[in-house]
Amino acid sequence: MTSESNITPVIKIDHVWKYFDELPALQDVSLNVYPGQRVVIIGPSGSGKSTLLRSINRLEEIDQGIIEVEGVDVHSREHDINRIRQNLGMVFQQFNLFPHKTVLQNLTMAPIKLRNTPRMEAEERALTLLKKVGISDKANVYPAMLSGGQQQRVAIARALAMKPDIMLFDEPTSALDPEMVGEVLDVMVNLAEEGMTMICVTHEMGFARTVADRVIFMDKGQIVEAGSPDDIFNNPHHPRLKQFLNQIL
Amino acid sequence: MVPERVAKAEKKDWAFINAWSLSLFGAIAALFTLCTLWPEPYLDVLSFLPDGLFVTFEVTVLSISCAVPLGLLTGLGRISKNRAINLLASTYVEIIRGIPLLVQIFYIYYALAKFLQVSGLTSAVIAISFCYGAYMGEVFRAGIMAISKGQSEAARSLGFNRFQTMFYVILPQAWRTILPPVGNECIAMLKDTSLVSVMAMPDLMQRGRSFAAKTYLYFETYTIIALIYLIITLLLSKGVSFMETRLNYYDKRK
Ligand SMILES: Nc1ncnc2c1ncn2[C@@H]1O[C@H](COP(=O)(O)OP(=O)(O)O)[C@@H](O)[C@H]1O
Ligand SMILES: [Mg+2]
Repeated sequence: MTSESNITPVIKIDHVWKYFDELPALQDVSLNVYPGQRVVIIGPSGSGKSTLLRSINRLEEIDQGIIEVEGVDVHSREHDINRIRQNLGMVFQQFNLFPHKTVLQNLTMAPIKLRNTPRMEAEERALTLLKKVGISDKANVYPAMLSGGQQQRVAIARALAMKPDIMLFDEPTSALDPEMVGEVLDVMVNLAEEGMTMICVTHEMGFARTVADRVIFMDKGQIVEAGSPDDIFNNPHHPRLKQFLNQIL
Repeated sequence: MVPERVAKAEKKDWAFINAWSLSLFGAIAALFTLCTLWPEPYLDVLSFLPDGLFVTFEVTVLSISCAVPLGLLTGLGRISKNRAINLLASTYVEIIRGIPLLVQIFYIYYALAKFLQVSGLTSAVIAISFCYGAYMGEVFRAGIMAISKGQSEAARSLGFNRFQTMFYVILPQAWRTILPPVGNECIAMLKDTSLVSVMAMPDLMQRGRSFAAKTYLYFETYTIIALIYLIITLLLSKGVSFMETRLNYYDKRK
């Protein structure tokens, strides 16, 4: 890495447009994310938060604009998207653990198949990660036997098993019973403290306030306002942001 | 509390009496009784059939091993985003579903014979595989589609490519929904191999027909043939439902 690396964005989203049929889901969205930055995206449902997150690892195709991850154009056919995705961990609202694999296998599968990591080494690392997310005693059970909170923590560990540089979270606590939200947020806070670059779509405003370096408010496919948590929560400007905050707080 | 328990126990005692066990043990008892009481025609018929039974199994096993991969390919083709592949697979299914198997068997037998020398066995296997490949394609397609989109997205987000995702993540899960109907298709296939007897394939049915033609014992012969098909089919269907329970290994349980 050059000495510029601390000012070069790891993710560069440049005038991105995305349509579903005729409807614009992203309208001229631009955003830079720098190494180690924790970005939280908030906004009403249907405002394009997931679409933006999913277009970063090309789970959604975009119609216009450029998205670069670590200097590589993600939507260009010239690059191997599967390679790029190995560096972009993603955590989904619905966990999406592989139900036919044990917890341990969920974590070791990708490193073994995609990185040719020796099984022993992959399992060792998996166990370390499971300890880190607080479920090392469940390594050999199937996901169906875990609570939602436990499943989501496994899902985070699974993404981390590929040693990604960046983690994307799409409402990781929205499908959880309230009493399980905390345990998942704790894992995310730890991750943030370790310096992981993170983009989180979430409705957990407490998390946004304490963890985020930058909060992005989206509405109708646009970034309406962006700033520090203090700017956004204590000093909102745009009427739609004010209205949104009034509704949820 | 107590009566409930009694009721449950009673229920369990009678659980072995069901359509399946009645049919199976009825068929075995009938076969046994006929052969011991009237060995004269019935045992003669029975002893004439083993060769045919072997051919029936041969055609079935060969057809299954062609039809299942063909079904998988067809199913994958039917969900493919590639327009040409999708169209090819869909057209194949459409055509095959519109033609009776018996007609297909005749057609392939004589069409193939026009251009190249193939044995009855080969054309029988081709005809049956082609027909069942289309049906199984629909089974595969439905099984794959039943797996939530989140599963493939999770796999893709980890860096698995499309094929790895299909073979490591989707198919192993879809297998559960796919196997029982595929098993049933295989049983149907075994029954439908009886149609190849029209091409002078010495299968169970054909052996029976030639025995009956020689001896005029039509009723006796077809009674035995029917019982044999029934017994095999019932045993296999038990195998399928056993497999079904085994495939649920990763479900929630203590
Ligand atoms: N696969 C899709 N097909 C059609 N429309 C979609 C699809 N995914 C999202 N949309 C639409 O795009 C808009 C943005 O959706 P989304 O990014 O999921 O919003 P959010 O995550 O902020 O709730 C919504 O209007 C939604 O209905
Ligand atoms: Mg969303």
